[in-house]
Amino acid sequence: MAPAENPAFWPLTLIVFLPALVAAGLSLPIFPKAREEIIRWITFATTAIVFLLSLWVAVPQFFGTAGAGQFVVGQPEMQGVVKLPWIESFGIEYLLGVDGISLPLVVLTTFISMLAIAASWPIKKHVKAYHVLFLLLETGMLGVFVSLDFFLFYVFWEVMLLPMYFLIGVWGGPRREYAAIKFFLYTLFGSVLMLIAILMLYFTSDVRLLSDEQLIATHVVQPAVAAQEISSIRSAESAIHTFNLMALAAVGQLPNSPFAATTVWLGMSLETWAFLLLLIGFVIKVPVVPVHTWLPDAHVEAPTPISMILAGVLLKLGGYGILRICYPICPGAGLSLAWLVCGLGVVSMVYGAFAALAQTDFKRMVAYSSVSHMGYVMLGLGVWSAVGGQEYRWDFWAQGVNGAMFQMLAHGISSAGMFFMVGVLYDRVHHRNLNEFGGIFSKMPVYSGLAIAVFFAGLGLPGLCGFIGEVLVTLSSWNYSRMLAVISAFTVILTAAYILWAIQRVYLGAEYRGPHEDALKPITPRELSIATPLVFLAILFGVAPQILFQYVTPSVNQQVETLANWTRDVHDGARKMIVAEAEQKLSDGHDVARGVQSMSDEIASRWAQD
Amino acid sequence: MAAAQLLPILLGIAWLIPLVSFVAILFFGPRMGAHGKGAATVATTAIGASLLLSLIALVSWTLAGHPVRSEHHDDNHASIQSHDAGQSPGIWPASHRSPAHSDAVGDSAGHASGHASGHGEVSAPISYSGDWYTLYASGALRLSIGWYIDSITVLMFVVVTFIATCIHVYAAGYMHDELHDVTDSEVQLETGESLHREGRFHRFFQALSLFCFSMLGIVIAGNLAMVFIFWELVGICSWFLIGFYFERHSASTAANKAFIVNRVGDFGMLIGLMALWGGLGTLHFGDSVSSATGQVEQGLFELVRPAENHHEQQVPDGLVAFAAADQIEKMAASNPSRSELRRKVAASVPGWREQGYGKWLLFVAGIGIFCGCVGKSAQVPLFVWLPDAMEGPTPVSALVHSATMVAAGVYLVGRFFPVLTPDVLLVIAYTGGLTLFIAATIAVTATDIKRVLAYSTVSQLGYMMLALGVGGWVAGLFHLITHAFFKSLLFLCSGSVIHACHTNDMRKMGGLLKVMPYTAWTMLIGCLAIIGAGVPFVLGLSGYYSKDAILAQALLFSRTNPQHSILYVAVAGGAFITAFYMFRLWFMTFAGAPRDEHVFKHAHESPRVMTVPLVALAIFAVVAGWALPGGLGVESLIEQSRPAGTAETTTTAGIFGTLTVPAEHESHAGAIHVTATLTAFATALAGVLLAGVMYFKPLISPVAVAHAARPIYTFLVNRWYVDELYHGIFVLPTLGAARFISAIDTQVIDRFINVLAWTAKRVASVDAWFDRVVVDGIVNLAGRATWKAGLELKRMQTGNLRQYVMFIVVGTVAIFVLATLLFRTSVAG
Repeated sequence: MAPAENPAFWPLTLIVFLPALVAAGLSLPIFPKAREEIIRWITFATTAIVFLLSLWVAVPQFFGTAGAGQFVVGQPEMQGVVKLPWIESFGIEYLLGVDGISLPLVVLTTFISMLAIAASWPIKKHVKAYHVLFLLLETGMLGVFVSLDFFLFYVFWEVMLLPMYFLIGVWGGPRREYAAIKFFLYTLFGSVLMLIAILMLYFTSDVRLLSDEQLIATHVVQPAVAAQEISSIRSAESAIHTFNLMALAAVGQLPNSPFAATTVWLGMSLETWAFLLLLIGFVIKVPVVPVHTWLPDAHVEAPTPISMILAGVLLKLGGYGILRICYPICPGAGLSLAWLVCGLGVVSMVYGAFAALAQTDFKRMVAYSSVSHMGYVMLGLGVWSAVGGQEYRWDFWAQGVNGAMFQMLAHGISSAGMFFMVGVLYDRVHHRNLNEFGGIFSKMPVYSGLAIAVFFAGLGLPGLCGFIGEVLVTLSSWNYSRMLAVISAFTVILTAAYILWAIQRVYLGAEYRGPHEDALKPITPRELSIATPLVFLAILFGVAPQILFQYVTPSVNQQVETLANWTRDVHDGARKMIVAEAEQKLSDGHDVARGVQSMSDEIASRWAQD
Repeated sequence: MAAAQLLPILLGIAWLIPLVSFVAILFFGPRMGAHGKGAATVATTAIGASLLLSLIALVSWTLAGHPVRSEHHDDNHASIQSHDAGQSPGIWPASHRSPAHSDAVGDSAGHASGHASGHGEVSAPISYSGDWYTLYASGALRLSIGWYIDSITVLMFVVVTFIATCIHVYAAGYMHDELHDVTDSEVQLETGESLHREGRFHRFFQALSLFCFSMLGIVIAGNLAMVFIFWELVGICSWFLIGFYFERHSASTAANKAFIVNRVGDFGMLIGLMALWGGLGTLHFGDSVSSATGQVEQGLFELVRPAENHHEQQVPDGLVAFAAADQIEKMAASNPSRSELRRKVAASVPGWREQGYGKWLLFVAGIGIFCGCVGKSAQVPLFVWLPDAMEGPTPVSALVHSATMVAAGVYLVGRFFPVLTPDVLLVIAYTGGLTLFIAATIAVTATDIKRVLAYSTVSQLGYMMLALGVGGWVAGLFHLITHAFFKSLLFLCSGSVIHACHTNDMRKMGGLLKVMPYTAWTMLIGCLAIIGAGVPFVLGLSGYYSKDAILAQALLFSRTNPQHSILYVAVAGGAFITAFYMFRLWFMTFAGAPRDEHVFKHAHESPRVMTVPLVALAIFAVVAGWALPGGLGVESLIEQSRPAGTAETTTTAGIFGTLTVPAEHESHAGAIHVTATLTAFATALAGVLLAGVMYFKPLISPVAVAHAARPIYTFLVNRWYVDELYHGIFVLPTLGAARFISAIDTQVIDRFINVLAWTAKRVASVDAWFDRVVVDGIVNLAGRATWKAGLELKRMQTGNLRQYVMFIVVGTVAIFVLATLLFRTSVAG
């Protein structure tokens, strides 16, 4: 199908590539380097247009249109799918689409990018290069969220890496080079592992295992020419590999999943290895303890807008990857390694909170708070409580995943806000030592009021966005593990301690104790216009979380319910019986493959029964 | 029934008006009159309107045919009229409807219902519940904002809004310093001068409004999740109010301490919530109708005390099944269909319940929720925040720390009462007993007038907890309400004294009766009320009734459970100590000769705007417990909502041995009642007399006593060294752990990473050397190219950036193009 024929082609493609296009235009030598103000405004306009485009897709009612390519709220499936062949010999496609999981993250990305550009006005060094790199970064981030082809996903994942490296390494603080190379190596390490997993999965996958309905539902075949394409798949003699994430998930959830059936190394299945490799790649991004130490350095050295992007968007890529890729494609490993995901989450929560308590650098404290808060995301994603002992009830796990998604979005708002608030002070007094502040409230009341609101959102105060995600995740964890639940609940004390203590040292008190006291001027209109939307959203999402849940919940619930049924029917049911039956058949000299086939049929009938 | 629709609307609006006031002052506060003076009017009008609506709600509650005899309704209305005419010059007219209802106490109705439920068919009390708003819904789970309204909800609304209104009026006078620039002599700047700052009049009322909204949110909450939400909001409001003088380090520290200590309690509360949520999937108190399926979803009360079980407490099915997960796992192993598994589990649940599955979960749930209450209501071991919280302005102390925030914990225990197992109740009783004793002893040696009251509050809250713990559901909540009146009165009186003397130190006061008659006499009423003064069996102040009820129930409990007699000793002993320190306070402040001439000379009676609320509250401190002939009154109103199944004596074998929770109405029986009343009278009288001989007619020198019992005195003056202890065993280790973990990052993980990087670099260079020397050709070339690339990269960072950016852009595009072309041709070829 030609691009023009698919109405969904332009919105998503534009959202992703408009920043890169503008970046290409800006980087042309003919563009005057000295016109900094124009560059700033062009970049800002670009990010604003991209933001509006993403809103146009996400909230059609704002625009009074309900056209093709716009999102239908409440529908759990992938929407606006764009499918074009790209590298046909490997089946690599230009496959984009959004659902309730990715779309809110896309809007978050475009929104935070816009604010970050507005926060970039104080950047004076190599203005043109900065903005070009920033726009490339935005393309990379958005591309990751909308890619449904694993290879495309990986390409975008790598596209993000270099701009970020330079944005930290050139425009950062005194130890910028160390921080940048550390960030680069950590992430590269993760993405190399990811690449291995991608190739493992690709070469083991086989879309011929999927039923006709699955082939259509996973967009392996085009609905318009489905019959023709299906028949060509059915007549293929050798395995047809795929990078299609939806198809990989469908394959991974089959009773006779080749990922689970293949043992690669140390007696563990390919599924387990792929899960682990992907998990490492993603948790480095999240980040979780113990692979988190790039984060405090990167944050402290990065300029304010880049910190906002790092905390607001980049960290979410990890959580998104786990949710979108690890669990659906490798459910067996996901179930047996749920303790690892939850454990890492809880350790990060507590560890990050303790570490935050010990910091004297304001920005480092906020960075560690991110480690702690992203721990909730891990915990929520991992609480696979839909097991036999719980009658396969999936509500609590769904609550955890919904909470994790909400936490990602809320943290995107609150952490970007916190870093911005730190940046406002740093721009004025050029230090971040918590012990050399004090009395800011008296000097900058409006700023302090907004800052305290944002920090309270980080503290998880009800009525602000941080609360909902944390409480949902914490409550959901009880059904997975009592011990982890208790530890995660304990974190609320530490969170209150480090945030309130920081507020006391910075904003309260009688007088300022650091250098450059004269520079403490009230908040500027530009700063106000960045801070206000963040605070507004923090309150809005805290008071009306349904605004986000109406997008998130249908898609999350569908995935969780599918995996819960998988637990019951495939993991606990068929797998056991397959093994038993296969052993039986083997000893009787029967055909194993036929036994597997009959099991699949039985499972299908069982599904129909419930 | 009209009340079912009307009450949520009335109370819902009463709840939201203060929020509107908060938002208005937040945005327009500075523009409200000169220096934001109008903020007081806005906030006071708002809370006054809430009071009015609460009173209408109270009237409609009683008119709605709740078990109060209808023939008394006319009498009530008559009494409203007469009260309004007789006693309310210059006070909010609305506030005077409240006493009419509170006055018209009728033991008959309350006891009638109590007895009826004791003997006849057990029926659930009338309550209305529903949801306004959904926060999260998925599958069978739903977190929402809603209401649960019964008589204690309505009563608490009236009490909270009434006291808050008095305090708003009072604060408009007390805080007038904030209307202009303030010189805070407690804050020394580096230059040695006192801090000079702008006034923050409107900010005070802004926080006060938010506080009222949060508190009313707890009262009306229809589920535990909503309680938790407003629980936290109350916490943060108290943070704002305690830290109102945020320039003072002590104030901001006290604010942080209050919030963090409360969060320790909330940690427990979260565990309680999880225990219930994980097993039951609901946190609603009452039954509700699901909007999705239209089915009735049972609330916690019905699940724990099902009607078919005659409202007797049992471990709910959900918790049993949750605890029996290993059994269900076994059932699931045979891979039955979903419905089959559900049937099997349902059939096995009664058997599992018999085996004790889930018992611990219910215990954990109860203890967990109680932990939250321990934090909010300042019980041992989390009481340390409340005395420090006196750093806030005095109206805050009166509102936050007598009638509202600390009341929330007791209220929640009362609300959650049906779910609490006898074991939990015993823990609550002992916690209360310990608290009332420790706090009372500390109050004896305190010299800061507000701190005496703060410890007195802690101690009285201990009374309430103990009462609830020994099965005195009405007694505990009754005392909660009477205490709210007289303790806010006492705090406001102390504020009036501080306002006049500019000091909190009672050692500098004395003889103030002459210059501050209104304050002195109203405070005397407060003192008499708190010690439960009255003519035995005839008439008394409000505290007389509620304290007697507690004593009687504690006595009954001790009789039925002799091993727990110590609880009664604590109550009786506490009554003695209370009487002593309260009159010590009054004598030291108002009686005798002035101790500090300078202070005395400047002392003056407070303005009308402050004394009028004192008088209003004093009237209530007297009459709030009265039992007039009729069908209405605080005690009987509370009795109307007695949780089903708690009116009978129950004996259970629990974790702490066999325990009998006696029925409350039995404590009204002659022998018990007489003994309790006489004990109360004797202990109070003894306490007052002792205070008299030490501080009024100094026959015994307090100094000599302190000297004679020096170790005890030092121990008490230092508040049992609890703060020091906590600092040593909690704060320091926490900070140590924080530093340790931070050090792991920099010293272990990062060092490891750096060594790894260094090693990689070494290996690379050795490898390069190896390549150069040993290996020829293409390998060598590649190694060098890598090395070179590294050097290039290094130079790019500081060198010509623009070119490099170009390169990335081109590279990005090139990846796409090359990938497309190369892959295609290579495979095709």
